[in-house]
Amino acid sequence: MTAILLHAAEQGLVYGIAALGVFITYRVLAFPDLTVDGSFVTGAAVASSLLVSSGLDPVSVMAIAFAAGAAAGLITGILHTQLGIKDLLAGVLTMIMLYSINLRIMGRPNISLLRVETITRAIGRAAPWLGDAAVLVFLAATAILVKLLLDLFFRTEIGLALRATGDNEGMITAHGVNPKTMKVAGLALSNGLVALSGGLVAHYSGFADVGMGLGTIVTGLAAVIIGGSLIRSRRIGWMTASVLVGSLIYRTAVMLALRYGYVVGFQASDLKLVTSLLVVAALVVPAIRGRVMRRVDTCSS
Amino acid sequence: MNRKRLCLVGCIVLGLIGAAAAAAPVKIGICKIVEHPALDAVERGVIDALAEAGFVADRDVVYLLASAQGDPNNAVPIAQSFRSQEVGVVVAISTPMALAAAEVFRGTETPIVFSAVTDPVAVGLVESAGDPSGNGNVTGVSDLIDVAGDLALLKELSPGIHRIGIVYNPGEANSDRLTRLALDAAPGLGLTVVTAIADSTANVPMAAQSLVGRVDAFYVTTDNTVVSAIDAVVAAAENAGVPFLMADPTSLEFGPVLATGFDYYRHGRITGAVVADVLSGRRPDAIPVTYQSGAEIHVNLDAAGKIGLTVPTAILERASGLFVGGRAWSPAQGN
Repeated sequence: MTAILLHAAEQGLVYGIAALGVFITYRVLAFPDLTVDGSFVTGAAVASSLLVSSGLDPVSVMAIAFAAGAAAGLITGILHTQLGIKDLLAGVLTMIMLYSINLRIMGRPNISLLRVETITRAIGRAAPWLGDAAVLVFLAATAILVKLLLDLFFRTEIGLALRATGDNEGMITAHGVNPKTMKVAGLALSNGLVALSGGLVAHYSGFADVGMGLGTIVTGLAAVIIGGSLIRSRRIGWMTASVLVGSLIYRTAVMLALRYGYVVGFQASDLKLVTSLLVVAALVVPAIRGRVMRRVDTCSS
Repeated sequence: MNRKRLCLVGCIVLGLIGAAAAAAPVKIGICKIVEHPALDAVERGVIDALAEAGFVADRDVVYLLASAQGDPNNAVPIAQSFRSQEVGVVVAISTPMALAAAEVFRGTETPIVFSAVTDPVAVGLVESAGDPSGNGNVTGVSDLIDVAGDLALLKELSPGIHRIGIVYNPGEANSDRLTRLALDAAPGLGLTVVTAIADSTANVPMAAQSLVGRVDAFYVTTDNTVVSAIDAVVAAAENAGVPFLMADPTSLEFGPVLATGFDYYRHGRITGAVVADVLSGRRPDAIPVTYQSGAEIHVNLDAAGKIGLTVPTAILERASGLFVGGRAWSPAQGN
């Protein structure tokens, strides 16, 4: 059980970085951005093919993966703001383009990292005293660092302008800020984070696969919405924390469905159903408890 | 109320402990990337072969079956859940599952037997196919098909065939590798390969139609995406009036003129034999990678008739299966 929860936490944190990216577009900018299904793979593709072919260290490889994702976001931003393509379609178009581009970057659909020093393996070697928890500690530190940097960014002038763009475009224009620039910047930052997450996932999994981006938007949204319904706050620090919590809950649900689903008679093919039901439980149980508590309060008074 | 609940929880916990204590049989974790006829057949083949080798289910072995349901992100969690359940052997069907299992079980003694992996050396699963001593805890069965042989067979079918159209999904590791092999082999046989890409089942019809008029024959390898939409390729080939060779004999009745290769149920049985070896104590680093041999030729005479093609007798004589008059005939059955 402990090992399972450990792994669920690792995944919750590493995919949580992608969810933070989705949070920036969906919650802050109110921009439904589907680029992420492609940019997640772009990050994985860059972080794997560079590690295998260039001899660069894992940290530089992750930085380049972030930049590649940001470039993808930039394309969606330009398609939308400069060429006037609707937000949803702009993201879809970039996502489709990225499928071919990702295949070009990788040179084949699947890159194995079994025989190279990945970032997770390097951490395990650098901090042997942490034992089995080394990867978790590293991923937690990375996810929390990203979260804190985002919190800081959203308190700067540009960050505040970005938040205001999503809330009220007219107001921000009146203040002399170009909302188009803000959208492009937000999309770049968001997809950079998604790509960083993709790169880390590839190193963590030991391979990159061109199909691994499918559903990034769905799981990202799930994390944002689960977290948002459990932690209701308008303060940015709580909001970003809630995204990581949402991601942890989602990945724990997947892990529990895989590990214990068969105990209650579920078959292998029921995986996605069980996962979704567990997420429903995570969302509904606190709500019901809240309602029951309130009723108890009314009764006793 | 609370005591009742406590009892219930206690019973469940005791039940779980009881189940764990009685679990003397070896747990075998079988995982596949997606529910798919070929991969399901491999899974059945493994279980059947083990049963015939004397491993009785629930007495000697217990099967944990898992599917990533098409999402490579589920591959690692599945392998981790196998590890936490202390499986004795992992059977990983398809390349992503095998890579994830190799990563999660890295440095352990748990044997990993991969199946339906086209090129285990190129993807880094094993160091060498022939000399297993450096392969650690990984061995398995490759489903590499004889692509050059298939192209030569098409040429033999009709000497007028020069341009071969391949519909494939470049996102599938196996299919990508086989298409490259076809592109490499074609010039030596005096053939040109034209490819059309379908990244999802929904795009197969368009990709197949795009080749009509540009090719003298259609060829589809063991591509999961295209095999799932095989009717679309059959329709395009009929529309173009050209033959269609499919590297999957189980699809013969759906309309290709020729089907070669092996069926995946047999592939699973071969994998099962390797698993039985491992269960009997042979170490994976003493078992070379198995390449399934003995590709068969199957001919669909109904499909050949539709495009007015006469199949040469030389090919018919080598065929191990015929489809004619709406039903399959096998020479082995003496029909």
